[in-house]
Amino acid sequence: MAALVQGVRGALAISSCLLRATLPRATLVGLQQKGIHTNLCGVTPSAALLTSRNESKVAAQRWMASNPGVKPTVVEIKDRVLRVCKEFDKVTRLSLTRQSIRLYSDKAPLSLELIRDRVLLVLKLYDKIQPEKLTLETHFLNDLGLDSLDHVEIIMAMEDEFGFEIPDGDAERLLRPADIVRYVADKEDIYE
Amino acid sequence: MASREAVRAAVRQVRPILSADKGEARKRVLNLYKAWYRQIPYVVMDYDIPKSVEQCREKLRQEFEKHRHVTDIRVIDMLVVKGQMELKETVEIWKQKGHIMNYFKETEEPKPTDFLSKFLAGHE
Repeated sequence: MAALVQGVRGALAISSCLLRATLPRATLVGLQQKGIHTNLCGVTPSAALLTSRNESKVAAQRWMASNPGVKPTVVEIKDRVLRVCKEFDKVTRLSLTRQSIRLYSDKAPLSLELIRDRVLLVLKLYDKIQPEKLTLETHFLNDLGLDSLDHVEIIMAMEDEFGFEIPDGDAERLLRPADIVRYVADKEDIYE
Repeated sequence: MASREAVRAAVRQVRPILSADKGEARKRVLNLYKAWYRQIPYVVMDYDIPKSVEQCREKLRQEFEKHRHVTDIRVIDMLVVKGQMELKETVEIWKQKGHIMNYFKETEEPKPTDFLSKFLAGHE
C-alpha cells in the first residue's frame, strides 16, 4: 500500500514538475489531490492564502468525497486546466501578492499617506512646534517661528525617520511639511 | 566727519579665510551644528558626564546663539574652525571629562548689582 502510494506520488511529481512551469498554483493543488490522500496538499509551495485557491481546494475535496475511486480522464483534466487558466486574473493576483509579500531585508512598503503621517508625527513630537498650528502647508521659518538651527534639527529628524541622508542643497529648500513629503516620495519612488 | 562715515560705509575687500560669501559660511555653520548634534549622544556615553543628551543639546544651542550677531565672514570662518577643532578633539577622546564639563561651568561670576548682593559680597 505504501509502495503504491509512493509510486503514484512519484508519477504525479514528474507530471506536476512538467506542469509547474506553465500552470498557476490552483491547478497544482487540484492535480496533487487527484487519487491520493488529501494530506499531500500540505506539500504545496506556500504562497499567500488566496480565496480562489481555498475554493478550488475545497471544491476538489468535495468532488473526491462525492465520487470515490473515479479517475478523471485526460480530456477532463484538460478542461479543468483551461478553465482555471481562463479564470486567472493577473491584475488582481498581482495586487494581492504585492500587499502580502514582505522582504525583511528591505524597508516597509511606503505610501503617500504613510509618509505624510510619519512626517506630521515627527513634527508634532518636536517640542518647539505647537501641534495646533501645524498643517502640511505651514512654513517653518515664517509661520511656525522657528530659526535655521531648528530647521536643521527637523531635517535631521527626517533623515533618522526615513533612513536616508538628505544633502544640504536639498535640505535648505525643504521649508514646509508638504515639501518634505514630496521629497521623500521622490526619493523612495512612490507615485500613487 | 562725512569722510569718516564714507570710509566706515565702504566695503573692505580682504582675502577670505575659508568661505567666499555668506551662503558658503552659512553652510559651514549648519554642517558644524549637524556634526555636533549627531555626536552628542556618543559624547555623553564615552565621557560618562552627569548631563543628559537634552541638556548637552541645549548647551550646544546656547554656544551657537552666543555668536548669532556676528556678520563678518572671516570671524564666522574662524569660529567655525575653532568649533571643528573642538569637535575633532571630542570625537577622538583627546579631551577628558573635565574639558567637556568646562562647557557647563561659567568661569566668571557675574558681579553683584543690587544692594543686598553687594553687601553680602563685601561692597566689592
